[in-house]
Amino acid sequence: MSSRTRPIDKFATAAAKCSKEASLYGKCIVADYNNVYKDKCSVEFLRLKDCFLAASKRRT
Amino acid sequence: MNTLSIRAFIPPLRRRCAPPSLHAIRRYAVQAPGAPTMEIFSQQHKWMQKERAAADVETSRNVDYLRDEVASRLCERLLDINRHFPRVLDLGANACNLARMLTLPSPETPDAGPRSSRIGKLIAADSSETLLYRDADLPFNKEIDIQREVLPASETLSYEANSFDAVLSSMSMHWINDLPSILAQVNNALKPDCPFIGVMMGGDSLFELRTSLQLAELDRRGGVSTHTSPLADVRDIGGLLQRAGFNLLTVDVDDIVVDFPDSFALMKDLQAMGESNAVIAREKGGIHKDVLLAAEGIYRELHGNEDGTLPATFRLIYMIGWKQGPNQAKPLERGTGMFSIKDYLEKDGKDGGDK
Repeated sequence: MSSRTRPIDKFATAAAKCSKEASLYGKCIVADYNNVYKDKCSVEFLRLKDCFLAASKRRT
Repeated sequence: MNTLSIRAFIPPLRRRCAPPSLHAIRRYAVQAPGAPTMEIFSQQHKWMQKERAAADVETSRNVDYLRDEVASRLCERLLDINRHFPRVLDLGANACNLARMLTLPSPETPDAGPRSSRIGKLIAADSSETLLYRDADLPFNKEIDIQREVLPASETLSYEANSFDAVLSSMSMHWINDLPSILAQVNNALKPDCPFIGVMMGGDSLFELRTSLQLAELDRRGGVSTHTSPLADVRDIGGLLQRAGFNLLTVDVDDIVVDFPDSFALMKDLQAMGESNAVIAREKGGIHKDVLLAAEGIYRELHGNEDGTLPATFRLIYMIGWKQGPNQAKPLERGTGMFSIKDYLEKDGKDGGDK
């Protein structure tokens, strides 16, 4: 069972490489977490997602 | 006459065929008429998650840390009662963690021998067969008189009235839809003046995960869906036990905080425990990847420890209730007090606090 890498593990490894972007995104949400609305931090999130996509491509 | 309000009980469709003799036993309904139960958790889905999780024996054993710890603390509470229990039911036994913990000596008195010396026969019942029999070959099974029973339906007990000296339940009652009913059935199966000792997840368990997922979903998708179960709170438990007919209640809370490297490790462990989301109204098909990614960032920022780990709080509610018995201590009638507690306390204060 453990011979193959589970998708969640790949996901976690790629996400771990973007800790800086994730922290910036987290700060943006947490700054005023009582008033969160859709796409409040989309700029920060897209940066995080770009980094994540690049990191997951590099791996495979 | 309270017998008039009780109606005959019709057993639901059973997944497994029970022996015909069981159908002949007449039982009583425990649900008040006119109060249909809300079905929140899908029992079938929960059963499937447990079966799947237990099929991977190695991973499943690796995540036993929480259940073992909780089971051990529950055993200590059982030992606090100075009695011998010839016949004990472990309701929702998972992988028989309670049985294994009972075969170990108490951490407070390591020389006193295994804790199971106080117990005669232990009947471990769970709806998931694979999980129940996962550790059936391990050596601890020989040290305790254990009998495994697969429950055909996890919310209907087919035990005779007045047949157990104690009923234990560790970490499985938070998946029960109809808690009042199951507690009343437990009360019915207990002998008079015998305890029910249970522990369930409740209150603010996993609030870190819950809040991060909610914030992430709000920002990414503009709405919130259910990813963590609704849980009973401490103050609900007393009422539940009382409604089921238990006396001399004790309820207390224990917080266990586990640190995880990231939120994915936490979710993987929950899945391996068979504790994934089984709410019927959940969004089918798993969490969006965007939400997962966003939740990881928020979790770390909002709740993360300084050393980079993420804490996950498990709030465990322990409950002890006693079935009514003839010789049980009862509260005195109102107004029969012969002594003023005010005088006692004031006298105590004057003497400098010594009793």
